[in-house]
Amino acid sequence: MSNNTNFEEKKKSHRERHSGRKADKKKVKKNGKSIQELTDQRRNPKAFAFNSVIGAERRFRRKQDIETKKQHVPFVDRTPIEPPPILIAVVGPPKVGKTTLINNLIKLFSKSPLLDIKGPVTIVTGKKRRITLIECNNDINSMIDLAKVADLALLLCDASFGFEMEIFEFLNICQIHGMPRIMGILTHLDMIKNSKTLKNTKKMLKHRFWTEVYPGAKLFYLSGLLHGEYLRNEIKNLGRFISIMKFRPLTWRMTHSYLLADRYEDLTNLESIRQNSKCDRHISIYGYVRGVPLNKNSSVHIAGFGDIKIHDISYLPDPCPLPETVKKRALIEKEKLIYAPFSGVGGIVYDKDAVYVELGGSHSHKKRDNDEANNIVTNLIETKEALDVKMQHSELQLFTGGKKLTADDISGDSSPYDSDAEDNIQEHSNITELNDDVGLNKELNKLRKDHTHTEIECDGRIRRKVIFNDSKMDTDNEEQFVEKDSSYSTTKTQNEIIHSKVSDILKSLEESNNKTSIVTSKTEQKELQQTDDRYVSEETDEELNNDDYLDNYESGDSDSETNENSDKTDAKTEESLSDSTDEDMALKWKENLRNRAQEAYLARLNTKKNIMRLVYGVFDNKIDNSDEQYDTNDSDEIGGLFKVVSHQQQKLKIERYGMDLEESSLLMPWSTDIQDFTEPENKWMIQDCFVTGKWKESEDANELLKLDATELSSDSDEFGDFEDLETGEKFTKGESNKDEHENNNEQSDQINKKQYDGEGTSYYDELKLSAEKQAQLNKSIFENMADDLRVQFEGYRPGMYVRMEFENVPSEFVTNFDPTYPIIIGSLNMSEENIGYVNVKIKKHRWYKKILKANDPLIISLGWRRFQTVPLYSKLEDDLKFRYLKYTPEHLSCNAHFWGPITPQGTGFLALQTCEGDLQEIVREPKVFKPLVIPKKLQHALPYRDKPNHGVKMAERRKKIDRVAVIKEPYEQKVSKVMKMIRTAYDHKQQHLRQKTKERLEKHRQMIQAVEANRSKKLKREKKKYLELKVKHK
Amino acid sequence: MPAISNKNNTLVYKGSSFMRQRLLLSVLSSKPVRIIDIRTNHDEPGIAEFEVNLIRLLDKVTNGTIIQLDSTGTNLYFQPGLLYGGEVDHECSLQRSIGYYLEVLVALGIFCKIPLKATLRGVSNNLIDPSVDHIKTSIIPVLKRFLIDDEGIDLKVTKRGMLPLGGGEVVFCCPVRKQLRPIQLEDSGMVKRIRGTAYTLRVSPAIANRVVESAKGVLLNFIPDVYINADQCKGKQSGKSPGFGIHLYAETTKGTTYSAEAVSKVIVGGAEPSIPEEVGKLAAQRLCHEIYMGGCVDSAAQALAILCMALGQKDVTKLVMGSLSDYSISFLQHLREFFGITFKLEDYKSEEDCVVGADKILLTCIGIGYTNISKRTI
Repeated sequence: MSNNTNFEEKKKSHRERHSGRKADKKKVKKNGKSIQELTDQRRNPKAFAFNSVIGAERRFRRKQDIETKKQHVPFVDRTPIEPPPILIAVVGPPKVGKTTLINNLIKLFSKSPLLDIKGPVTIVTGKKRRITLIECNNDINSMIDLAKVADLALLLCDASFGFEMEIFEFLNICQIHGMPRIMGILTHLDMIKNSKTLKNTKKMLKHRFWTEVYPGAKLFYLSGLLHGEYLRNEIKNLGRFISIMKFRPLTWRMTHSYLLADRYEDLTNLESIRQNSKCDRHISIYGYVRGVPLNKNSSVHIAGFGDIKIHDISYLPDPCPLPETVKKRALIEKEKLIYAPFSGVGGIVYDKDAVYVELGGSHSHKKRDNDEANNIVTNLIETKEALDVKMQHSELQLFTGGKKLTADDISGDSSPYDSDAEDNIQEHSNITELNDDVGLNKELNKLRKDHTHTEIECDGRIRRKVIFNDSKMDTDNEEQFVEKDSSYSTTKTQNEIIHSKVSDILKSLEESNNKTSIVTSKTEQKELQQTDDRYVSEETDEELNNDDYLDNYESGDSDSETNENSDKTDAKTEESLSDSTDEDMALKWKENLRNRAQEAYLARLNTKKNIMRLVYGVFDNKIDNSDEQYDTNDSDEIGGLFKVVSHQQQKLKIERYGMDLEESSLLMPWSTDIQDFTEPENKWMIQDCFVTGKWKESEDANELLKLDATELSSDSDEFGDFEDLETGEKFTKGESNKDEHENNNEQSDQINKKQYDGEGTSYYDELKLSAEKQAQLNKSIFENMADDLRVQFEGYRPGMYVRMEFENVPSEFVTNFDPTYPIIIGSLNMSEENIGYVNVKIKKHRWYKKILKANDPLIISLGWRRFQTVPLYSKLEDDLKFRYLKYTPEHLSCNAHFWGPITPQGTGFLALQTCEGDLQEIVREPKVFKPLVIPKKLQHALPYRDKPNHGVKMAERRKKIDRVAVIKEPYEQKVSKVMKMIRTAYDHKQQHLRQKTKERLEKHRQMIQAVEANRSKKLKREKKKYLELKVKHK
Repeated sequence: MPAISNKNNTLVYKGSSFMRQRLLLSVLSSKPVRIIDIRTNHDEPGIAEFEVNLIRLLDKVTNGTIIQLDSTGTNLYFQPGLLYGGEVDHECSLQRSIGYYLEVLVALGIFCKIPLKATLRGVSNNLIDPSVDHIKTSIIPVLKRFLIDDEGIDLKVTKRGMLPLGGGEVVFCCPVRKQLRPIQLEDSGMVKRIRGTAYTLRVSPAIANRVVESAKGVLLNFIPDVYINADQCKGKQSGKSPGFGIHLYAETTKGTTYSAEAVSKVIVGGAEPSIPEEVGKLAAQRLCHEIYMGGCVDSAAQALAILCMALGQKDVTKLVMGSLSDYSISFLQHLREFFGITFKLEDYKSEEDCVVGADKILLTCIGIGYTNISKRTI
């Protein structure tokens, strides 16, 4: 074999011709410019010359018309790089197969069927796509809410029954609130046995669907059930359609952010619930942000609940992330994640400060040995040493080859300060019980040693709340974030704890001093104020300050670092223990920690010199009320009633708060002392700001000319040989130059063409280009920024998984919570939370039989809201006055005015008279009428015929006579029996006769008919003969 | 100073500082504000006349505004209505110039329901506020940059009036627009020409020439293209009080304008009158300083530019400015409170690393997606 191949290799290879006729031909063919491929116009230009100017003009105009018709206003594409899951609502009347379809789709994409689906289910369907499936229950409110948020609606229809009202109701709602993509699905097709009927039904339903949505809208057929499931192929097809579907942004959703809650927790203190079961609740809601970035300060509307301010919002790691690296292959099994907390799926649930690991029950973890999630918990449980001890043992090396630091070193460093602090306090007060610092440390230690997990029981399953490391860890974590941007952070739990402790100590100090000596109190207070001020400066400056009262703060800091380190080592050991190839989701939280630490460091680097702090630092230095107290204490009291306020002090205070400043937008409205720019030492500062000064290199004419000259001279050098590193291709000078030349020619051709055709420079193209540019900029500007900084600037961008906290939520929200009802949280833009008089154009729907009457209440769905209001109807007259209408016109639109939320113009709205009318049956108790009693006095006064006794005789006559049963004598019985027999025989005979007569008659009729037929035949024959004769004669 | 509370959507502030900003943002965001302790410790406690005048003006351009002022005048509650616009005729307080009021209208104008046509009467030029010329040459062009279609914006100075009696009049016309557009401006260009006006009201017309002469003396050191008009107002056009002044503006190759001005002192008692040469020189030096500060907007227009950036669509807007004035800083703070928007502020470094003049600041933000909800769409 090998010999053979060697032999073949030695064969002389084909040598291509480089010159001559054949070579030329080939070259032409290769370049694609052969004569055959030239257009008709190019080959024979004369044939396409203008024949008539008018015709040409018309042709041109027509072309322009068609082109302009196709143009739409270009909009900036604001879809994020990692978009939220596509929201798919499965809608349809009951018993049509919605749940089955969802189950099948889940099974298709994730291979793990859900038993009990409640609320939304998020699954990863592809490398770049996730979907959230939600079933719409048969309730008009759910339909309205889902129509507002769904990206795609799967409309299910029982084909054996035909379209039901729910489908049309939903379609009409969709048309009002911005049409999502709609896909119809026909089910129960196996119920139609006749193939022809099936065909006709399909056709009929399809056309009806088209008239409602748009001609050519996709209608799917699920032909039947097999083992309680739809056919695999059909579901696969449907899945494919879903995963390649494109969506056009809708106006309302392009201007509002919203989310569909897929998880919710009640955070209310259990004690307060116990005391008052109706107390206002504190809840948190989770979900993916959709639409536009969500602003933290905006208030939101929860559909069916009302407007509410966001108490707190934070982003969480994605519970259902897309695969990290996009490879060419399809998804592997472990990337096909599923997340449905309401249905109890998702395995591990991330929270702001904890991770919930779901276990099957109290004993289930014993059965499963190889469960990853379980491993983590057991690891945590089985740790022999407390974290304090671990911390003590853990080592940190700052520099390679440097000394390894242990926790002892750090604590040793901080201890002198501690003792210092105590000393200081003692110096001040001589009261020993004030060694609160020690108590504080003890408390912190106690907190640290607390349990590593707590059990929470809810919904009948036990959830174990895994707390990171120790209870302080989470606050430490937060602190890291705080550190890197202390200028605009809001939560500083530890700081605040310590701060409050310190101020407590200070207060008690103050009290004791007041008791002992009034004389010293003033100086004391001054000092206290100083320390307070220093505290503030420490907070902002971020530098380590050797303030006596603050070493706690610092030691807390160093603690946190060591904690972090120990955690890192923990994470590493954990990783080495578990199979390294089998990365589980469960380990991600640890990776996150590390990432976070890294991010925090990077962010800290960025904030060295910060203008941001200058501007936004104000919001962090919360002005303590305690300051004011000191101030008031300072003033002298006269008679205990009046206070003498020293003017200077007040002035100082006012200046400090900047209360009554004069306001002017000029940079220096009152100053006149400006440096003299004509003087030589100042002149250079602004010389280059003028065109007469030095230009930038890229703009300077001289430089540009020089650059051109060098380019021309070194042209040949610049296009020298080079190697494409990616493909490994080598380009030599000659080839590339030629290519370049040709390319240039083509480009200039195109440019020329565009210029002469008036293309490329049109206003529309410019707009389109700028929109594209803007979209690119939007995506790239904050790309490399850490998320926690980024949300400050752009808000919580769509695709982020967030946790929102709400306070003062009525208890009914919690008690009536039903996961199958969608919870939609929509943000409100500026001035949308205000209420005023709203004018709308309204038209009665064609299905509503009656007309609307003014002042009848209506339930209106407008924007995110559903509310009831009382509209007034009017008609705009020619003199621009509104004429009041008592009823709406039958087939025309009219104006309506109502008191409601102010909404941007052009928003669709929809009104209902009742929410439940056609969905719930109205049960009416039969009315029981009491007998009419007429008093006797009145009876006397009545005319005779109206007297209640009047009808008695008639009624009696109508009564049935009660007859007595008679038993006959034996003879009489015999007689009657014989008579009966005779009568029966007679009857039978008569019947027989009648039958016979009938038959006879029938026979007779047939005979007559036959005769008639014969006769007519004969007649025909004769006629024919006669006609033939006639023809012959002619 | 940040708001002391934010309950029921009402922002509560202490003290009278930046009242104009607070009221302006209140109208735009339709969030009510309560301002307490207005000049409680001043010799003349309570709200000042020019502030009441401003509130009246706001009431004229809005529909359904609720204003509550207590008897001492130290507590104000302001609940804004919807912006309406239309023809407004307003007599401004003489304590502040027309510019003080006009700045508010420039910011509100495009978000009205019907086009605004405001006639403002009062002091056209004073020492502490941007004059009407200043607004015309460098603030309105900034607004125009943020509009897709800037046709119809017009500011006409029909009469000039100096302190103490005023008598000036301007007519401001502004169309209504649905939204603002995002812009990215980093290069301010180089100053290519300097123009200006020297005006004399009820004083000798020769003074104008003296002012121009001295201003040119400074500016010709840097650029030869300096042309300053002399505006000798006559009769009613010259207002009620004597005075003179000069307004200068520099235009760059990229269309940015910087303005500066100086006016004569008000002669009260036996005080020395201003010397025309000094006024001219001061204005020229101020212009030089403005050019030195640089940026893509004039320092007086910073607040408007920041507002337009914040109110834009949910797109990235970038703008380079000279160092921020106190007014702009507090404006940024107020924007965060009213709209919840935070700007990214950083030192500006151009690609070629040669920033001329003072250090610049690059402001980056994503707009809040503000739209004019009053504008009729049909």
